[in-house]
Amino acid sequence: MLKVIAACGSGMGSSQIIKMKLEKVFKKLGIEANIYHTNIGDAKSQAANYDVVVCSDSLIGTFANAAAKKVIVIGLKNLLSEKEIEEKVLAKIVNAQ
Amino acid sequence: MEFLMPVWEFFQNNILTKPQFFIGFIVFIGYLLLQRPIYEAIAGFIKAVVGYMILNVASGGLVGNFRPVLAGLKDRFDLSAAVIDPYFGQAAAQASIENAGRSFSMMMVVLLIAFSINILLVLFRRYTKIRTLFITGHVMVQQSSTALWLVIFCFPQLQDMGVVCMLGVLLGTYWSVGSNLTVEPCQQLTEGGGFATGHQQMFGIWIVSKIAGKIGNKEKSLENLKLPGFLSIFNENVVATGILMFIFFGVIITILGPELMHKIDPSFSANQSFLFFIIEKSFNFAVYLTILQLGVRMFVSELTESFQGISSKILPGSMPAVDCAATYGFGHPNAVTFGFLFGALGQFLAIIGLIVFQSPILIISGFVPLFFDNATFAVFANRLGGLRAAAIIPFVSGIIQVLGGGFAAYFFTTGNFGGWHGNFDWDTLWPVIGVIMNYGQYIGVVAVILILLAIPQIIYYRSKDTYFLIAEDYDQYLEVMEQKKRSAEKLEVTAQKV
Repeated sequence: MLKVIAACGSGMGSSQIIKMKLEKVFKKLGIEANIYHTNIGDAKSQAANYDVVVCSDSLIGTFANAAAKKVIVIGLKNLLSEKEIEEKVLAKIVNAQ
Repeated sequence: MEFLMPVWEFFQNNILTKPQFFIGFIVFIGYLLLQRPIYEAIAGFIKAVVGYMILNVASGGLVGNFRPVLAGLKDRFDLSAAVIDPYFGQAAAQASIENAGRSFSMMMVVLLIAFSINILLVLFRRYTKIRTLFITGHVMVQQSSTALWLVIFCFPQLQDMGVVCMLGVLLGTYWSVGSNLTVEPCQQLTEGGGFATGHQQMFGIWIVSKIAGKIGNKEKSLENLKLPGFLSIFNENVVATGILMFIFFGVIITILGPELMHKIDPSFSANQSFLFFIIEKSFNFAVYLTILQLGVRMFVSELTESFQGISSKILPGSMPAVDCAATYGFGHPNAVTFGFLFGALGQFLAIIGLIVFQSPILIISGFVPLFFDNATFAVFANRLGGLRAAAIIPFVSGIIQVLGGGFAAYFFTTGNFGGWHGNFDWDTLWPVIGVIMNYGQYIGVVAVILILLAIPQIIYYRSKDTYFLIAEDYDQYLEVMEQKKRSAEKLEVTAQKV
């Protein structure tokens, strides 16, 4: 079971959109995952407890430390594009294993 | 029918006038209607009720933490004060509504009616020209709260039923028309990203998309700029709020002085240093804001999820209108910081102006409008008008936010509870709607709704052939635009020959 956290500025709007889109993509690809969503500060301090962090491209710098600890960090340009999410999930999670 | 009275009274006393249970049951029934299993419905019920109760603790905390400072300002300078921020605004609206002896439960009914109106307007889009469904749950909660207070303020005699129906239609119209306005700017920015903005500055985005190209030059973009690294700490909500509140309350409390604070604030113990009292007081706001957001997140995530389900199930071809931060990925990270900085500059300047010209109300910058509105404007402005537009527009927006918010907090008296909604549309469009409602009464409300509904019609008549295409098939839209451009050039050439 993959542990995933979606993050955005205030942890209210965008991160939940990411979460809902991720759920769809994971279901399609047959990946089992627990997905949470929260704000960027929270996500930064908890990132090490997760397998994957997903956020907007503009916030990806926040997770440099987590990425160094082998947490998979995915930055998205279009948070609503299932196509982009699927491509990046395939590249960073499925094919990387 | 006699026997129904006690049942109704029980319902009214325990559920209808208790927002936490009312919202809980709405979520519960919603889950059952969506045919989710009963245990999920119960879990949803508990999360909604607990979420709301958390929110209540935080709203009370925000207003309570502010109260001694407000009292001090009143006492010493005959000033009232408001933080312009949607969470402070929501807390102040709730306090105002309850202070007027009305139930805050109505907020949830308003939200549901307004959302239904949006669905209806999209369903009949052939006639209404509305292409977007507003699904940003937490913003819907905040706006329903503030707008509910506006209506109760303007129509104190109106019964609950009348209030929720009238406001539901008005707010639903605003959600539909406002988000629909952002379709073109968002598609241009995201190159057909397939979403619109459903947030607090939708009219603002539209205005920016109209003026940014005229203000600056998009070739001179801010991508080449190197911004100092320390600015990244403002990405974190708690840090940014802590700093902002420390600056503002530091100055205010220092001016009020330790003597007065000892008298009016029992939380200032005799042996505590003044500096650490100020720090504690300022950071308390960050504490309550974090709690408030936790509560909102808990009960709103249930809502947003079902809204998203509805939008993809029953409204194919409509465009979801989502949080403004969804656009940030399409702008350079510099744009977001730039907007925040110049917005802050504008706000601070305007606040100094308020003090110099002895305004009866003092405005305190809140993080959400300062950051989210102005960062959004900068992202759009940079794309269309480069560096210059991305500096000037957020700067002017900051000034407008303070002046508009100050007027609204004063006129609609939420300054008594220390807050106003404060996002761009709520510093411009909504105070105007409020004033029209206040003086025009029912005629005013009808007029506002009709004017709002006319906006998509006008845009439609200006671009009939591409109006729906841009939302449904962006590539084909580009093709049509290209063809149009070519035939226009041809015309010009023949005209020159003649």
